Amino acid sequence: MERSRDNLVRRRGGAIRLLAAVVVSVGAYPHFTLGQETATFFKQNCYSCHTIGGGRLVGPDLKDVTQRKDRDWLARFMLNPQAMIDRGDPYAKQILEEARGVVMSQIAGLTRDRANLLLDLIEAESALEKSQFEGVKFSDRPFTDEDVALGHQLFTGRVALTNGGPSCISCHTVRGLSLLGGGRLALDLTKVSERIGGRKPLSAWLVSPATTTMQPVFRDHPLEAEEILPLVAYFEGAAKQVGDDDSVAPLTFFLMGLGGMVLVLGLFDVLWKNRFRAVRRPLVAGGEMRTSA
Amino acid sequence: MNVRSQVSMVFHLDKCIGCHTCSIACKNIWTDRKGTDYMWWNNVETKPGTGFPTRWEDQEKYKGGWEKNNGSINLKSTDKKRIVLNIFHNPHMPSMDDYYEPWTYDYQNLFNAKEGSDQPTALPISKVTGEQINVESGPNWDDDLGGSPLYAENDPNLEGLTEDQRAQLSAIERLVFFYFPRICNHCLNPACVASCPSGALYKRGEDGIVLIDQKKCRAWRSCVSACPYKKTYFNWFTGKSEKCILCFPRVETGQAPACFHSCVGRIRYLGVLLYDADRIEEVANLPTEELIEGHRSLVLDPNDPVVAEAARRNGIHDSVIESAQKSPVYKFVKEWRIALPPHIEYRTMPMLYYVPPMSPVMSVRNEKTIEHVSDNLFHDIDQARVPLKFLANLFGGGHEAKVVYALRKQKAVRWLRRALTVGDVTMDQAKRMLNEADCTEEEADAIYRLTSLCTFEERFVIPPSHREEAIEMIQDPHERRQSAGFGFLSGPRRGL
Repeated sequence: MERSRDNLVRRRGGAIRLLAAVVVSVGAYPHFTLGQETATFFKQNCYSCHTIGGGRLVGPDLKDVTQRKDRDWLARFMLNPQAMIDRGDPYAKQILEEARGVVMSQIAGLTRDRANLLLDLIEAESALEKSQFEGVKFSDRPFTDEDVALGHQLFTGRVALTNGGPSCISCHTVRGLSLLGGGRLALDLTKVSERIGGRKPLSAWLVSPATTTMQPVFRDHPLEAEEILPLVAYFEGAAKQVGDDDSVAPLTFFLMGLGGMVLVLGLFDVLWKNRFRAVRRPLVAGGEMRTSA
Repeated sequence: MNVRSQVSMVFHLDKCIGCHTCSIACKNIWTDRKGTDYMWWNNVETKPGTGFPTRWEDQEKYKGGWEKNNGSINLKSTDKKRIVLNIFHNPHMPSMDDYYEPWTYDYQNLFNAKEGSDQPTALPISKVTGEQINVESGPNWDDDLGGSPLYAENDPNLEGLTEDQRAQLSAIERLVFFYFPRICNHCLNPACVASCPSGALYKRGEDGIVLIDQKKCRAWRSCVSACPYKKTYFNWFTGKSEKCILCFPRVETGQAPACFHSCVGRIRYLGVLLYDADRIEEVANLPTEELIEGHRSLVLDPNDPVVAEAARRNGIHDSVIESAQKSPVYKFVKEWRIALPPHIEYRTMPMLYYVPPMSPVMSVRNEKTIEHVSDNLFHDIDQARVPLKFLANLFGGGHEAKVVYALRKQKAVRWLRRALTVGDVTMDQAKRMLNEADCTEEEADAIYRLTSLCTFEERFVIPPSHREEAIEMIQDPHERRQSAGFGFLSGPRRGL
């Protein structure tokens, strides 16, 4: 009897705890701030390639996009752009052509509902005289040699990024960087400026990098405007410096590995020079071998 | 005095006929499994010869045993620092070629071969790769000086011999060899035990048998390089090292180890020695020339009441002390002093002793008769076909005195028997020899009896192991009393 009452108490306690958890979680994600959340989401995921009324970056200007195509099509495209292209949708193909082959990356955490909210936001912003997403304004001044030098230092990490983000070299490389190059985890950035479409789109991209890998890293550690400018300068400079041949770097890497291996083996041979070597074979082969008398 | 008991052994080399029955008995019982093909816990080598593995006595290469370093002894193969540096690659491992690549024969070919112009043969197949191999060496390649003179010429024990002596060893009509059967020496200061990083090797307290715990062995193979006699082997199939276990399951049940039991020449003796464990370190540190005497001094007299009392205090059973009093090994080693440890200079304090072999009789041609006698009674020992220096390198740590002593005594015993039974030697001569060889007539008679007329019970004095008492330490024999079996408490009944 005693035992079953204990059980009951314990079960009731569990229910109370569950209820409390629900209340707390509802409080933590209140519905009434969803509008602000959508704007933040846009800033983090879309803004690096799109403006609303600010002109084309990597992706098209989204002003009045809901009037160019129906909402259902747009939502489907947002959820899986690659699938739309693969299916041979004519408008999707046209967009791809305009973007010179850059496919919109899939966005983590994007749902049908959220896509609708985003479209609502775009519609509302399009109606405004001046949207808050008109695009980041960067100075148009020509790059100086100091910019390129600073960009190089920022890339390699000799100068740390102000907001604590990791320097580019951790994952990326640029040809002609140094003998070993940079990281090989992510893309080679030598031609990045050309690929993304020049100074303006690249700058916008760096404001809030939107790929699934970079976004979580740089969301809380964004680049400053005065860091973006030298970096872009450096990327443009790098593209001009190297030719089209990119087979040199892997070969150097291979040769260095080979040399290193030979060196280590040689070191082993010296360190263990007194190791046991065959006894019987030299004895038989040598014929004349005698005890060390 | 810290008295302990050790099951020790004597091999009487003058009796060994080199038949390898011991090796086969051992192989059939213990090493007839996958991965143990190449192991010979017992093997018989021809001396001069390179043995198994090839030139195992060359410690410059194999780095076995201990070496003396300002005041203390260290393992040659490793130390606390080197064991860490070399833990994944032991630099002093003998290669498979230095043992031999184990092989069998493709017998199926005798039945399945395609019709051809020649008879089919069973070709050798490697037991490691399964491929056909060209057999280049085996565990006993230089048996009876076979193979090529190369092997005998490269015996490490020839060190210090003159060119003449070396040449004579293989000269026609003077050519000579003897056999050297070997098992694990179950040493008092075992290098294998000292070297193991996992602590898998241990020396059994009750009888001193050195064993490898197969559950603790982590395949570092330090013991393989540390043992100067190369008597631990790595099983490539189980990934554990293995060695001679002195047939402890047989010894515990009162039977002699298989190699002892099967010995055709009856060269093997087994019995308990009591020794002083407190002095092992001190003795192992002695200068080389004092090692044999020091080693002998570790062995205690079981008839001494003080020793017996100390043994009892250490938990040695009365029956074991009694067994030690009857031990043939004690007689050979301590009373008669004609059994010597092999390669004492490795400082592992081996507990297997050898009675050094006599060379064939030297004769002098006088006109038409052939004389075996000369005024110098021991002339054939000093000018023996097997040079003394060679035997001294094997059994005397490089020093001849102890070997000469053992040979002289043996010869004196022989001549006494000749005076008694053949009569071509006078009693006077025989007595003179006994006198010079530090041997009384009674002792000579005892040596003769234990050498020539020994019974099974005299050769193998196996201490009782009292397994019935040992099991009580692990299990209570009363635990299941009246709770199992067919008693009336739980008798057999119908139904459930």
